[in-house]
Amino acid sequence: MVKNKAQMKIQQMAFMLIAVMIFFALVGLLILSVGFSGLKEKATALQEKNAILLVSKLANSPEFSCPEKTNCIDLDKIMALKNNINNYKTNKDKNFWGVSNIEIIKIYPGGKFIECNSESYPNCNTLKLISEKTTGITAENFVSLCRKEYDSENYLTYDKCELGKILVKYEKIQ
Amino acid sequence: MKKISNKNAQMNISFGWLFAIIVGAVILFLAILLATKVIKIGQSEEQAVGAKEFGILLNPLETGFESASSTPLQLRVETKIYNKCSPSGNFGKQGIQTSELSFNKWSALGVESSFENKYLFSKYPTQGKKFYIFSKPFEFPFKVSDLIYLTSENEKYCFDNAPEDIADELSQINQANLAADCLNADAETIKICFNKNCDIRVYYNEGYVQKGPDTLSFEGDSLMYAAIFSDKDIYECQVERLLKRTKQLAEIYKEKDLLLSPRNCKTDLGADLDLLISNLENAQDYKVISSVSELIEEIKNKNKYADCELW
Repeated sequence: MVKNKAQMKIQQMAFMLIAVMIFFALVGLLILSVGFSGLKEKATALQEKNAILLVSKLANSPEFSCPEKTNCIDLDKIMALKNNINNYKTNKDKNFWGVSNIEIIKIYPGGKFIECNSESYPNCNTLKLISEKTTGITAENFVSLCRKEYDSENYLTYDKCELGKILVKYEKIQ
Repeated sequence: MKKISNKNAQMNISFGWLFAIIVGAVILFLAILLATKVIKIGQSEEQAVGAKEFGILLNPLETGFESASSTPLQLRVETKIYNKCSPSGNFGKQGIQTSELSFNKWSALGVESSFENKYLFSKYPTQGKKFYIFSKPFEFPFKVSDLIYLTSENEKYCFDNAPEDIADELSQINQANLAADCLNADAETIKICFNKNCDIRVYYNEGYVQKGPDTLSFEGDSLMYAAIFSDKDIYECQVERLLKRTKQLAEIYKEKDLLLSPRNCKTDLGADLDLLISNLENAQDYKVISSVSELIEEIKNKNKYADCELW
Protein backbone atom coordinates (compact mmCIF):
# COMPACT_ATOMS: atom_id res chain seq x y z
CA MET A 1 0.00 0.00 0.00
CA VAL A 2 2.85 2.34 1.03
CA LYS A 3 4.82 1.31 -2.08
CA ASN A 4 1.83 2.13 -4.33
CA LYS A 5 1.42 5.53 -2.69
CA ALA A 6 5.09 6.37 -3.24
CA GLN A 7 4.91 5.27 -6.89
CA MET A 8 1.84 7.46 -7.29
CA LYS A 9 3.77 10.45 -5.87
CA ILE A 10 6.65 9.88 -8.26
CA GLN A 11 4.23 9.68 -11.18
CA GLN A 12 2.55 12.90 -10.02
CA MET A 13 5.89 14.66 -9.81
CA ALA A 14 6.99 13.39 -13.22
CA PHE A 15 3.78 14.65 -14.82
CA MET A 16 4.16 17.97 -13.02
CA LEU A 17 7.75 18.33 -14.23
CA ILE A 18 6.75 17.50 -17.81
CA ALA A 19 3.99 20.11 -17.56
CA VAL A 20 6.48 22.69 -16.19
CA MET A 21 8.93 21.91 -19.04
CA ILE A 22 6.19 22.24 -21.66
CA PHE A 23 5.14 25.53 -20.05
CA PHE A 24 8.70 26.91 -20.21
CA ALA A 25 9.12 25.70 -23.78
CA LEU A 26 5.90 27.47 -24.80
CA VAL A 27 6.96 30.68 -23.03
CA GLY A 28 10.35 30.44 -24.82
CA LEU A 29 8.67 29.97 -28.19
CA LEU A 30 6.38 32.93 -27.49
CA ILE A 31 9.35 35.19 -26.62
CA LEU A 32 11.22 34.07 -29.75
CA SER A 33 8.23 34.59 -32.06
CA VAL A 34 7.54 38.06 -30.60
CA GLY A 35 11.25 38.89 -30.95
CA PHE A 36 11.45 37.71 -34.56
CA SER A 37 8.25 39.47 -35.63
CA GLY A 38 9.83 42.68 -34.31
CA LEU A 39 12.98 41.88 -36.28
CA LYS A 40 11.02 41.62 -39.55
CA GLU A 41 9.37 44.99 -38.84
CA LYS A 42 12.78 46.50 -38.09
CA ALA A 43 14.24 45.07 -41.32
CA THR A 44 11.32 46.46 -43.38
CA ALA A 45 11.66 49.85 -41.64
CA LEU A 46 15.37 49.87 -42.50
CA GLN A 47 14.57 48.98 -46.14
CA GLU A 48 12.06 51.86 -46.20
CA LYS A 49 14.56 54.29 -44.70
CA ASN A 50 17.21 53.17 -47.21
CA ALA A 51 14.81 53.59 -50.15
CA ILE A 52 13.66 57.08 -49.02
CA LEU A 53 17.20 58.35 -48.46
CA LEU A 54 18.46 56.66 -51.63
CA VAL A 55 15.73 58.06 -53.89
CA SER A 56 16.34 61.59 -52.59
CA LYS A 57 20.02 61.43 -53.57
CA LEU A 58 20.09 58.92 -56.44
CA ALA A 59 19.80 61.62 -59.09
CA ASN A 60 23.13 63.06 -57.86
CA SER A 61 25.01 59.78 -58.15
CA PRO A 62 27.46 59.56 -61.09
CA GLU A 63 25.45 56.95 -63.04
CA PHE A 64 22.38 59.26 -63.12
CA SER A 65 23.55 62.88 -62.82
CA CYS A 66 23.46 65.57 -65.52
CA PRO A 67 26.55 67.66 -66.29
CA GLU A 68 26.53 70.72 -64.01
CA LYS A 69 22.97 70.32 -62.70
CA THR A 70 21.70 68.97 -59.38
CA ASN A 71 18.65 66.76 -58.89
CA CYS A 72 18.68 66.07 -62.61
CA ILE A 73 18.82 62.76 -64.47
CA ASP A 74 20.74 62.53 -67.74
CA LEU A 75 18.48 60.34 -69.88
CA ASP A 76 21.18 59.73 -72.51
CA LYS A 77 23.44 58.38 -69.78
CA ILE A 78 20.61 56.30 -68.36
CA MET A 79 20.01 54.69 -71.77
CA ALA A 80 23.72 53.81 -71.88
CA LEU A 81 23.45 52.49 -68.31
CA LYS A 82 20.40 50.41 -69.28
CA ASN A 83 22.50 48.70 -71.95
CA ASN A 84 25.19 47.94 -69.31
CA ILE A 85 22.82 47.13 -66.46
CA ASN A 86 23.98 43.50 -66.20
CA ASN A 87 27.33 44.77 -64.93
CA TYR A 88 25.44 46.41 -62.05
CA LYS A 89 23.75 43.18 -61.00
CA THR A 90 26.02 41.74 -58.36
CA ASN A 91 24.26 38.39 -58.00
CA LYS A 92 20.91 36.74 -58.80
CA ASP A 93 18.66 39.13 -56.88
CA LYS A 94 21.04 41.85 -55.71
CA ASN A 95 22.24 44.93 -57.49
CA PHE A 96 24.62 47.81 -56.93
CA TRP A 97 22.00 50.01 -55.25
CA GLY A 98 20.45 47.25 -53.10
CA VAL A 99 16.81 47.87 -54.14
CA SER A 100 14.46 45.70 -56.20
CA ASN A 101 13.20 48.28 -58.72
CA ILE A 102 14.38 51.58 -60.17
CA GLU A 103 12.03 53.28 -62.61
CA ILE A 104 12.04 56.74 -64.21
CA ILE A 105 8.77 58.24 -65.41
CA LYS A 106 8.26 61.40 -67.46
CA ILE A 107 5.27 63.25 -65.96
CA TYR A 108 5.25 66.49 -67.97
CA PRO A 109 4.52 66.68 -70.85
CA GLY A 110 2.30 63.62 -70.34
CA GLY A 111 1.30 61.01 -72.89
CA LYS A 112 0.27 57.41 -73.20
CA PHE A 113 2.53 54.70 -71.73
CA ILE A 114 5.52 53.93 -73.95
CA GLU A 115 8.42 52.05 -72.41
CA CYS A 116 11.89 53.33 -73.30
CA ASN A 117 14.19 51.03 -75.25
CA SER A 118 16.73 51.59 -78.00
CA GLU A 119 13.94 51.78 -80.62
CA SER A 120 11.45 54.02 -78.80
CA TYR A 121 13.96 56.43 -77.15
CA PRO A 122 13.53 59.44 -76.84
CA ASN A 123 9.81 59.27 -77.74
CA CYS A 124 8.85 57.35 -74.61
CA ASN A 125 7.88 58.12 -71.04
CA THR A 126 8.77 55.17 -68.79
CA LEU A 127 12.23 53.77 -68.31
CA LYS A 128 12.58 50.60 -66.27
CA LEU A 129 16.18 50.39 -65.21
CA ILE A 130 15.92 47.55 -62.71
CA SER A 131 12.74 45.50 -62.43
CA GLU A 132 13.50 42.43 -60.35
CA LYS A 133 10.25 42.33 -58.33
CA THR A 134 6.84 43.65 -59.36
CA THR A 135 5.51 43.91 -55.79
CA GLY A 136 6.89 46.04 -53.00
CA ILE A 137 6.68 49.48 -51.46
CA THR A 138 7.67 52.50 -53.51
CA ALA A 139 9.60 55.64 -52.57
CA GLU A 140 9.68 58.44 -55.13
CA ASN A 141 11.22 61.83 -55.84
CA PHE A 142 10.63 64.55 -58.44
CA VAL A 143 13.57 65.21 -60.77
CA SER A 144 14.42 66.98 -64.03
CA LEU A 145 14.96 64.66 -66.97
CA CYS A 146 17.43 66.12 -69.47
CA ARG A 147 18.79 64.91 -72.80
CA LYS A 148 20.66 66.36 -75.78
CA GLU A 149 18.49 67.40 -78.74
CA TYR A 150 19.57 68.62 -82.15
CA ASP A 151 17.78 71.61 -83.64
CA SER A 152 18.18 71.01 -87.39
CA GLU A 153 16.76 74.45 -88.30
CA ASN A 154 19.30 76.40 -86.29
CA TYR A 155 22.03 73.72 -86.50
CA LEU A 156 22.62 73.60 -82.78
CA THR A 157 22.51 71.05 -80.00
CA TYR A 158 20.75 71.98 -76.77
CA ASP A 159 19.66 70.40 -73.47
CA LYS A 160 15.98 69.46 -73.49
CA CYS A 161 14.67 69.12 -69.93
CA GLU A 162 11.29 67.78 -68.79
CA LEU A 163 9.67 67.02 -65.44
CA GLY A 164 9.86 63.47 -64.16
CA LYS A 165 9.85 61.17 -61.19
CA ILE A 166 12.28 58.54 -60.02
CA LEU A 167 10.75 55.57 -58.24
CA VAL A 168 12.64 53.12 -56.06
CA LYS A 169 10.86 49.97 -54.94
CA TYR A 170 11.91 47.88 -51.99
CA GLU A 171 10.63 44.51 -50.94
CA LYS A 172 8.55 44.13 -47.76
CA ILE A 173 10.02 41.32 -45.65
CA GLN A 174 7.30 38.70 -45.06
CA MET B 1 7.72 -5.80 9.34
CA LYS B 2 7.03 -2.21 10.41
CA LYS B 3 10.75 -1.48 10.34
CA ILE B 4 11.10 -2.62 6.69
CA SER B 5 8.13 -0.51 5.58
CA ASN B 6 9.69 2.63 7.20
CA LYS B 7 12.96 1.99 5.36
CA ASN B 8 11.05 1.72 2.03
CA ALA B 9 9.27 5.02 2.72
CA GLN B 10 12.62 6.71 3.47
CA MET B 11 14.06 5.32 0.19
CA ASN B 12 11.00 6.57 -1.73
CA ILE B 13 11.22 10.11 -0.33
CA SER B 14 14.92 10.43 -1.00
CA PHE B 15 14.47 9.13 -4.60
CA GLY B 16 11.65 11.62 -5.12
CA TRP B 17 13.84 14.47 -3.90
CA LEU B 18 16.76 13.29 -6.01
CA PHE B 19 14.54 13.08 -9.09
CA ALA B 20 13.11 16.54 -8.47
CA ILE B 21 16.57 18.07 -7.92
CA ILE B 22 17.99 16.52 -11.13
CA VAL B 23 15.02 17.51 -13.29
CA GLY B 24 14.84 20.94 -11.63
CA ALA B 25 18.55 21.47 -12.35
CA VAL B 26 18.03 20.46 -15.99
CA ILE B 27 15.10 22.90 -16.30
CA LEU B 28 17.10 25.71 -14.71
CA PHE B 29 20.08 24.96 -16.96
CA LEU B 30 17.86 25.00 -20.07
CA ALA B 31 16.17 28.22 -18.93
CA ILE B 32 19.53 29.96 -18.33
CA LEU B 33 20.83 28.66 -21.68
CA LEU B 34 17.73 29.98 -23.45
CA ALA B 35 17.94 33.32 -21.67
CA THR B 36 21.62 33.81 -22.60
CA LYS B 37 20.89 32.76 -26.20
CA VAL B 38 17.98 35.23 -26.37
CA ILE B 39 20.17 38.00 -24.92
CA LYS B 40 22.98 37.18 -27.40
CA ILE B 41 20.53 37.13 -30.35
CA GLY B 42 19.10 40.45 -29.14
CA GLN B 43 22.59 41.94 -28.85
CA SER B 44 23.67 40.79 -32.31
CA GLU B 45 20.30 41.99 -33.71
CA GLU B 46 20.95 45.44 -32.19
CA GLN B 47 24.45 45.48 -33.67
CA ALA B 48 23.24 44.34 -37.11
CA VAL B 49 20.50 46.99 -37.09
CA GLY B 50 23.04 49.59 -35.93
CA ALA B 51 25.53 48.69 -38.69
CA LYS B 52 22.80 48.72 -41.37
CA GLU B 53 21.41 52.01 -40.04
CA PHE B 54 24.88 53.52 -40.05
CA GLY B 55 25.33 52.52 -43.71
CA ILE B 56 21.89 53.89 -44.63
CA LEU B 57 22.66 57.19 -42.90
CA LEU B 58 25.61 57.57 -45.28
CA ASN B 59 23.16 57.91 -48.24
CA PRO B 60 22.56 61.66 -47.78
CA LEU B 61 26.31 62.24 -48.12
CA GLU B 62 25.99 62.09 -51.93
CA THR B 63 26.97 65.73 -52.25
CA GLY B 64 25.94 66.79 -55.75
CA PHE B 65 28.20 69.76 -56.45
CA GLU B 66 29.09 70.74 -52.89
CA SER B 67 32.83 70.50 -52.30
CA ALA B 68 32.87 68.75 -48.91
CA SER B 69 30.55 68.35 -45.95
CA SER B 70 30.79 67.03 -42.39
CA THR B 71 28.19 65.42 -40.10
CA PRO B 72 28.56 64.33 -36.44
CA LEU B 73 27.24 60.94 -35.32
CA GLN B 74 26.46 60.42 -31.64
CA LEU B 75 25.98 56.81 -30.46
CA ARG B 76 24.36 55.53 -27.23
CA VAL B 77 27.41 53.64 -25.99
CA GLU B 78 31.13 53.41 -26.67
CA THR B 79 31.37 51.52 -29.98
CA LYS B 80 34.05 50.05 -32.20
CA ILE B 81 33.23 50.36 -35.92
CA TYR B 82 35.01 47.81 -38.11
CA ASN B 83 35.39 48.98 -41.69
CA LYS B 84 35.59 45.91 -43.95
CA CYS B 85 36.47 46.06 -47.62
CA SER B 86 36.49 43.37 -50.26
CA PRO B 87 37.64 44.14 -53.83
CA SER B 88 36.10 41.05 -55.50
CA GLY B 89 33.27 41.29 -58.04
CA ASN B 90 32.38 44.16 -60.41
CA PHE B 91 32.38 46.77 -57.64
CA GLY B 92 33.78 45.07 -54.55
CA LYS B 93 31.99 45.38 -51.25
CA GLN B 94 31.92 47.74 -48.26
CA GLY B 95 31.17 45.94 -44.99
CA ILE B 96 30.40 47.46 -41.61
CA GLN B 97 30.50 45.59 -38.29
CA THR B 98 30.18 46.98 -34.80
CA SER B 99 31.03 45.92 -31.28
CA GLU B 100 29.62 47.70 -28.24
CA LEU B 101 31.07 48.17 -24.78
CA SER B 102 28.73 46.71 -22.18
CA PHE B 103 29.64 46.09 -18.52
CA ASN B 104 33.26 46.96 -19.35
CA LYS B 105 33.47 44.16 -21.95
CA TRP B 106 33.43 44.43 -25.73
CA SER B 107 30.61 42.40 -27.25
CA ALA B 108 31.32 39.91 -30.04
CA LEU B 109 31.24 41.38 -33.57
CA GLY B 110 27.71 41.79 -34.89
CA VAL B 111 26.42 40.60 -38.27
CA GLU B 112 28.19 42.35 -41.15
CA SER B 113 26.11 44.81 -43.10
CA SER B 114 27.34 45.24 -46.66
CA PHE B 115 26.93 47.86 -49.39
CA GLU B 116 28.27 48.01 -52.92
CA ASN B 117 27.84 51.74 -53.50
CA LYS B 118 29.75 53.13 -50.51
CA TYR B 119 33.43 53.87 -49.91
CA LEU B 120 34.33 54.37 -46.27
CA PHE B 121 37.84 55.36 -45.18
CA SER B 122 38.77 54.91 -41.52
CA LYS B 123 41.08 53.16 -39.10
CA TYR B 124 40.41 49.47 -38.38
CA PRO B 125 38.66 49.64 -35.98
CA THR B 126 37.73 53.18 -35.06
CA GLN B 127 36.46 53.55 -31.52
CA GLY B 128 34.36 56.15 -29.71
CA LYS B 129 30.94 57.37 -28.69
CA LYS B 130 30.90 60.32 -31.05
CA PHE B 131 32.11 60.07 -34.63
CA TYR B 132 32.55 62.57 -37.45
CA ILE B 133 31.66 61.71 -41.01
CA PHE B 134 33.15 63.92 -43.67
CA SER B 135 32.63 63.39 -47.39
CA LYS B 136 34.23 64.67 -50.57
CA PRO B 137 33.69 63.73 -54.24
CA PHE B 138 36.36 61.74 -56.08
CA GLU B 139 36.74 62.70 -59.74
CA PHE B 140 38.85 60.59 -62.09
CA PRO B 141 38.26 62.48 -64.48
CA PHE B 142 34.45 62.28 -64.06
CA LYS B 143 32.83 62.00 -60.65
CA VAL B 144 33.18 58.40 -59.48
CA SER B 145 31.72 58.59 -55.99
CA ASP B 146 31.66 60.53 -52.76
CA LEU B 147 34.36 59.28 -50.44
CA ILE B 148 33.37 59.06 -46.79
CA TYR B 149 35.96 59.62 -44.07
CA LEU B 150 35.05 58.32 -40.62
CA THR B 151 36.97 59.54 -37.59
CA SER B 152 36.17 59.28 -33.90
CA GLU B 153 36.23 62.23 -31.49
CA ASN B 154 39.25 60.53 -29.86
CA GLU B 155 41.31 60.92 -33.02
CA LYS B 156 42.51 64.51 -33.42
CA TYR B 157 44.37 65.74 -36.46
CA CYS B 158 46.10 69.00 -37.31
CA PHE B 159 47.43 70.07 -40.72
CA ASP B 160 50.76 71.89 -40.62
CA ASN B 161 51.57 74.20 -43.53
CA ALA B 162 48.78 72.80 -45.70
CA PRO B 163 48.25 74.39 -49.15
CA GLU B 164 45.86 77.33 -48.95
CA ASP B 165 42.85 75.62 -50.54
CA ILE B 166 43.11 72.65 -48.14
CA ALA B 167 43.45 74.91 -45.09
CA ASP B 168 40.42 76.91 -46.30
CA GLU B 169 38.41 73.74 -46.86
CA LEU B 170 39.25 72.45 -43.36
CA SER B 171 38.21 75.76 -41.79
CA GLN B 172 34.99 75.68 -43.81
CA ILE B 173 34.13 72.08 -42.77
CA ASN B 174 34.53 73.15 -39.13
CA GLN B 175 34.90 69.59 -37.80
CA ALA B 176 35.87 69.54 -34.11
CA ASN B 177 38.68 66.98 -34.47
CA LEU B 178 40.33 68.58 -37.53
CA ALA B 179 42.47 71.72 -37.18
CA ALA B 180 43.69 73.72 -40.17
CA ASP B 181 46.98 74.48 -38.32
CA CYS B 182 49.04 72.92 -35.52
CA LEU B 183 49.55 76.04 -33.38
CA ASN B 184 47.44 74.80 -30.43
CA ALA B 185 47.98 71.06 -30.95
CA ASP B 186 48.44 68.88 -27.84
CA ALA B 187 50.66 65.78 -27.59
CA GLU B 188 47.83 63.39 -28.59
CA THR B 189 47.03 65.21 -31.81
CA ILE B 190 48.27 63.51 -34.99
CA LYS B 191 50.33 66.04 -36.93
CA ILE B 192 50.06 66.03 -40.72
CA CYS B 193 52.90 67.99 -42.28
CA PHE B 194 53.37 69.14 -45.85
CA ASN B 195 56.98 70.33 -45.72
CA LYS B 196 58.69 68.42 -42.90
CA ASN B 197 58.65 64.97 -41.31
CA CYS B 198 56.11 64.34 -38.55
CA ASP B 199 53.41 61.70 -37.74
CA ILE B 200 52.09 61.78 -41.31
CA ARG B 201 54.02 63.45 -44.14
CA VAL B 202 52.16 64.51 -47.27
CA TYR B 203 54.23 64.88 -50.45
CA TYR B 204 51.49 66.92 -52.10
CA ASN B 205 53.09 67.64 -55.49
CA GLU B 206 54.61 64.16 -55.77
CA GLY B 207 51.23 62.56 -54.92
CA TYR B 208 51.98 60.32 -51.98
CA VAL B 209 51.53 60.13 -48.22
CA GLN B 210 54.16 58.67 -45.88
CA LYS B 211 52.72 57.07 -42.71
CA GLY B 212 55.50 55.35 -40.80
CA PRO B 213 56.81 52.62 -43.12
CA ASP B 214 53.79 52.83 -45.47
CA THR B 215 53.70 54.88 -48.65
CA LEU B 216 50.26 55.54 -50.10
CA SER B 217 49.92 57.07 -53.58
CA PHE B 218 47.06 59.46 -54.27
CA GLU B 219 45.54 61.54 -57.06
CA GLY B 220 43.52 64.58 -56.04
CA ASP B 221 42.60 65.98 -52.63
CA SER B 222 39.82 63.47 -51.89
CA LEU B 223 42.25 60.53 -52.08
CA MET B 224 44.83 62.51 -50.08
CA TYR B 225 42.34 62.76 -47.18
CA ALA B 226 41.54 59.06 -47.65
CA ALA B 227 45.23 58.13 -47.34
CA ILE B 228 45.57 60.30 -44.21
CA PHE B 229 42.49 59.02 -42.35
CA SER B 230 42.52 55.31 -43.21
CA ASP B 231 44.71 52.28 -42.65
CA LYS B 232 46.87 51.07 -45.55
CA ASP B 233 44.87 47.90 -46.30
CA ILE B 234 41.55 49.71 -46.28
CA TYR B 235 42.93 52.50 -48.48
CA GLU B 236 44.35 50.12 -51.09
CA CYS B 237 41.19 48.01 -51.21
CA GLN B 238 38.84 51.02 -51.46
CA VAL B 239 40.92 52.61 -54.23
CA GLU B 240 40.79 49.31 -56.14
CA ARG B 241 37.00 49.38 -55.75
CA LEU B 242 36.88 52.99 -56.94
CA LEU B 243 38.89 52.06 -60.02
CA LYS B 244 36.42 49.26 -60.77
CA ARG B 245 33.57 51.77 -60.67
CA THR B 246 35.64 54.18 -62.80
CA LYS B 247 35.91 51.44 -65.44
CA GLN B 248 32.14 50.81 -65.40
CA LEU B 249 31.43 54.55 -65.67
CA ALA B 250 33.93 54.88 -68.54
CA GLU B 251 31.96 52.14 -70.39
CA ILE B 252 28.74 54.12 -69.83
CA TYR B 253 30.30 57.40 -71.07
CA LYS B 254 31.70 55.59 -74.12
CA GLU B 255 28.21 54.34 -74.93
CA LYS B 256 26.73 57.80 -74.29
CA ASP B 257 29.30 59.21 -76.72
CA LEU B 258 28.08 56.79 -79.41
CA LEU B 259 24.46 57.68 -78.63
CA LEU B 260 25.13 61.41 -78.99
CA SER B 261 27.19 61.39 -82.18
CA PRO B 262 24.14 61.15 -84.55
CA ARG B 263 22.77 64.30 -82.80
CA ASN B 264 25.70 66.39 -84.03
CA CYS B 265 27.30 66.08 -80.62
CA LYS B 266 30.87 64.91 -81.09
CA THR B 267 33.36 64.62 -78.24
CA ASP B 268 36.34 62.74 -79.73
CA LEU B 269 36.67 60.89 -76.40
CA GLY B 270 35.93 57.32 -77.50
CA ALA B 271 39.56 56.23 -78.08
CA ASP B 272 40.78 57.81 -74.82
CA LEU B 273 38.01 56.15 -72.84
CA ASP B 274 38.92 52.83 -74.46
CA LEU B 275 42.54 53.33 -73.43
CA LEU B 276 41.48 54.19 -69.87
CA ILE B 277 39.28 51.07 -69.70
CA SER B 278 42.10 48.80 -70.92
CA ASN B 279 44.59 50.40 -68.49
CA LEU B 280 42.21 49.81 -65.60
CA GLU B 281 41.43 46.27 -66.73
CA ASN B 282 45.10 45.32 -66.89
CA ALA B 283 46.07 47.08 -63.66
CA GLN B 284 48.06 44.97 -61.18
CA ASP B 285 47.16 47.11 -58.17
CA TYR B 286 45.77 50.47 -57.11
CA LYS B 287 49.03 52.29 -58.02
CA VAL B 288 47.74 52.49 -61.61
CA ILE B 289 46.13 55.79 -60.49
CA SER B 290 49.54 57.45 -60.78
CA SER B 291 50.43 55.92 -64.15
CA VAL B 292 47.15 56.99 -65.82
CA SER B 293 47.19 60.53 -64.40
CA GLU B 294 48.33 62.09 -67.71
CA LEU B 295 45.61 60.26 -69.64
CA ILE B 296 43.06 61.42 -67.05
CA GLU B 297 44.18 65.03 -67.49
CA GLU B 298 43.91 64.68 -71.29
CA ILE B 299 40.39 63.21 -71.07
CA LYS B 300 39.37 65.96 -68.65
CA ASN B 301 40.55 68.69 -71.03
CA LYS B 302 39.00 67.06 -74.12
CA ASN B 303 35.64 66.84 -72.34
CA LYS B 304 35.88 70.45 -71.17
CA TYR B 305 36.40 71.78 -74.69
CA ALA B 306 34.11 69.30 -76.52
CA ASP B 307 30.95 70.41 -78.43
CA CYS B 308 28.89 68.43 -75.90
CA GLU B 309 30.28 67.63 -72.48
CA LEU B 310 29.80 63.98 -71.54
CA TRP B 311 29.86 64.75 -67.79
